[in-house]
Amino acid sequence: MLQRFLQPSVLGAISSLELVAKTVVDGFVAGLHRSPDFGFSQEFAEYRAYVPGDDLRYVDWNVYARTERMYLKRYLGETNSLLTILLDASNSMQFGSHSVNKMDYARYLAASLFYLAIHGQRDAAGLITFDDEIRNYIRPSTRQGQLHRLLAGLEQAEARARTDFSKPMRYFQELLSRRGIVLIVSDFWESPESIVRTIEPLRFRGNEVVLFHVLDPEDVVPRLNGPSILVDMETRQQLEVTPDYTKNEYREKVAAHLADLRDRTRAAGMGYYLLMTDRPLDEALREYLTLRGGRN
Amino acid sequence: MGLFAPWFLAGLAGLALPFYLHLLKRQTRTPKAVSSLMLYESRTQSSTRHRRLRYFLLLSLRLLMLLLLILAFANPFINRNTASLASERLVLLVIDNSFSMRAGSRLADARDAAMSVLSGKGAARAQVAAFGSQLRLMTQPIEDQSALRAAVEAIQPGDGHGNFGELSRAVRAMAEAVHTPIELHLFSDMQRGDLAASFSDMALPANVNLVKHAVVSKAQPNWTVESVDAPGQVWGKDAKPVHVGAVIAGYGTPAAQRTVSLVVNGKTTAAKTVAVPANGRAAVDFPALEVPYGFSRCEIKIDAADGFPADDLRRFAVERSDPQKALLIHNYGDTRSPFYVGAALSAAAQSAFILESIVVNEAADRQPSNYAFMVLSDLNAVPSLLEHSLTEYVRSGGSILIAAGTSAGSRLQIPIFGAHIVETRDYSRVPDRYMAVGSSDSSYPAVARANGWTGVKFFYALAVDPGDARVIVRLGDQTPLLLEKRIGEGRVVLLTTGLDNLTNDFPLHPAFVPFIEQTARYLAGSERQGGARPVDAFLELRNAQERTQNVEVTDPEGKRPLTLGEAASAQSFQLTEAGYYQLRLANGRQDEVGVNPDPKESNLDVIPGDVLALWQGKGGQSSREAATPGAAAHKTPETLWWYVMLLVFVSAVAESALASGYLGTQREEG
Repeated sequence: MLQRFLQPSVLGAISSLELVAKTVVDGFVAGLHRSPDFGFSQEFAEYRAYVPGDDLRYVDWNVYARTERMYLKRYLGETNSLLTILLDASNSMQFGSHSVNKMDYARYLAASLFYLAIHGQRDAAGLITFDDEIRNYIRPSTRQGQLHRLLAGLEQAEARARTDFSKPMRYFQELLSRRGIVLIVSDFWESPESIVRTIEPLRFRGNEVVLFHVLDPEDVVPRLNGPSILVDMETRQQLEVTPDYTKNEYREKVAAHLADLRDRTRAAGMGYYLLMTDRPLDEALREYLTLRGGRN
Repeated sequence: MGLFAPWFLAGLAGLALPFYLHLLKRQTRTPKAVSSLMLYESRTQSSTRHRRLRYFLLLSLRLLMLLLLILAFANPFINRNTASLASERLVLLVIDNSFSMRAGSRLADARDAAMSVLSGKGAARAQVAAFGSQLRLMTQPIEDQSALRAAVEAIQPGDGHGNFGELSRAVRAMAEAVHTPIELHLFSDMQRGDLAASFSDMALPANVNLVKHAVVSKAQPNWTVESVDAPGQVWGKDAKPVHVGAVIAGYGTPAAQRTVSLVVNGKTTAAKTVAVPANGRAAVDFPALEVPYGFSRCEIKIDAADGFPADDLRRFAVERSDPQKALLIHNYGDTRSPFYVGAALSAAAQSAFILESIVVNEAADRQPSNYAFMVLSDLNAVPSLLEHSLTEYVRSGGSILIAAGTSAGSRLQIPIFGAHIVETRDYSRVPDRYMAVGSSDSSYPAVARANGWTGVKFFYALAVDPGDARVIVRLGDQTPLLLEKRIGEGRVVLLTTGLDNLTNDFPLHPAFVPFIEQTARYLAGSERQGGARPVDAFLELRNAQERTQNVEVTDPEGKRPLTLGEAASAQSFQLTEAGYYQLRLANGRQDEVGVNPDPKESNLDVIPGDVLALWQGKGGQSSREAATPGAAAHKTPETLWWYVMLLVFVSAVAESALASGYLGTQREEG
């Protein structure tokens, strides 16, 4: 099972990169990530005059012995990041025009990120799978066996029902009580305005939110051999469409939809990346991680 | 309208296939799933309707193409009234110019009759042909009266033997190529001898209407020299007298005295009077034929005083030359073979050869080309130099008789001849202690006059693999005894036993002398030289396929009928005219032959009317047609295959264009 998700070619491509969290969140264990709070660390930050009520443990007694003044020694806090992946497990994710459908691609992507976060960064990682409800929740943790729990959660995530961000969102906010990186993997077949409006509150709580928009090539450029009856995989609604329409108007609409979603998410301070399932996974991850690193 | 092969209509079941592909398959097409219809809009009616219409056009074209293809296999035809095709009919004028048409004014009468038919043919196309031993077209199917008349006038009397079976065969071939009705006008003396062996050979196709124009109505008495028996060669200055025999025949003649003359080089050397019985034959014998050295042109003539003087003589050519040398190479100690072969050659009536016998080690300094033929007897070893020179001798036209004897049994193969030796057969150990001849080819000259070698006992023979050699005689156990192989221009005859009286008792048998004599004549090429040949016979010019020396043929008119290319490569030549032909063959030998018409042409008896009426099975209808040529009214089936196939082609092109248009649209969509 591990071999399925953690393909050596994928991990080999990304293991040399450091996952540097954009946002410093508070953590329990010192690590590689800088934190906005001061805490236990070897990296000195500054001295501050003691005021009553300060924790006496942080008083630099050596300075007091020399100067008879009490100063608190402060360090740059370093901690782990907290990664939560929200995986869309709706029916539309099952669509695929080649060997890998969108759901598989999203699984590979999530598994790769989990592996990197847990083994490479010693970050806490968690998973929420949802469609129109929350189907599975694995709390972020760094405990032994977390990676296997996450991968099992990915494996169990069967596509069903339809996507609806609004209903499970309130649960997201409850579950994501600590700040961290929130990655939302979906095909986002909803109006960009509704998506941003629903996800925006996560950003307000101090999370770094990134949208991985997973699409099949035929989602963008459908191929029809003639007038065809199309069936919506989520609603089972049918529609007769002509090749002329898919060749011209549809492509324009898709391009406008993608541009609108990208602009709105970035305007809301969130990251947005379009991933096509015919592109190699490692390239997509590398591109993402490179871009994330550049933003630090 | 009908169908020649209606069972092909079963293929109509195949029409279901396009229906399945176009209709059933369309209706069972599964809808295509997509992630979301959020950005799709319904666009259906107009374009789909248009597409269906285009598909129905393609379906129609495919159905049409299949239907036409099945129809083409069923081969439809329509019955067309021949009378309605009168303007399309082909008038074929065939004028008999066989040898018998030289009698009286027969050919002129035939030409006149043809002219009158040409005058009354109207606007129909006509074609003129001469008919001797084979049909010779003089024109293409044309309407030009002057060209047709000129072609009729150009027909000259020939020397061939007419055969109505051959005429019918040629007309049948024409009728397959020409789909219009053919009105065949035959101008002939309707000679009885021209009838084919079988009446079915003379059958004519349904679209051929035979109109017979007989230029004579009754038999005409005629005397002729039916055959001549004379040698082609005479050897030596003091040769024994040569007899010339002739048979004088009378057809429909009363008993009469006829004077028969022997003419040598235009000079009458002997004459005899012979009593020819009524409608019978009489033999004449000239005991001594005196001819000078070289080729002489001889004739047997009669004073027939009948209406057919052209057949009153029969030609033959005789060559007088010195006896030729033959060389026999034998093994040490083998004295029997030279003795028996020499005795047989000298005992022959015509002492044509002088035999020289040497042992094998003396053969190195002999020039093989100085000998008419050679005999290798019982050789256990042939020096390679001698074998090479003998092989070259054979390739250039020489001939060898090889008698294997007992010594050759130690070899793997027969030298020069090349046959692989399988084993030796010693028949002295079988219960009868000998083996007799099992089968023999009586058409072979060396065996023909030896009565099949009956009674000859063979005690020893070599079993050889004949390969591509001709096996002439086999022993009772199927062992090849006498074989012949042609190598280059020459011939090699292999006797798998010996020429002595140890391996067989053949030399002591009366059949041995004619065998040796005929083999010698055959190998020396004498039996093919001189003499007489019938018209239309083929004369062999060379043996080998490869081009060697050019041959030269001079016909009775002094012309050279062969082109340069034919002279370099032709293997045979057909003697088409009566007279004397001079030849120089590929092996360098000169020859001259007298060519005579077929004796059957001298019998001027005509075909009875009832037999003529049976020809084509039309009886009296034919005679009515003769009175009103071109007015036949029977129906002729005319196939429509070509037209149907043309339509198949057109529909296939249209279908391809339309289908490729659809494919182009789909590629663009992709």
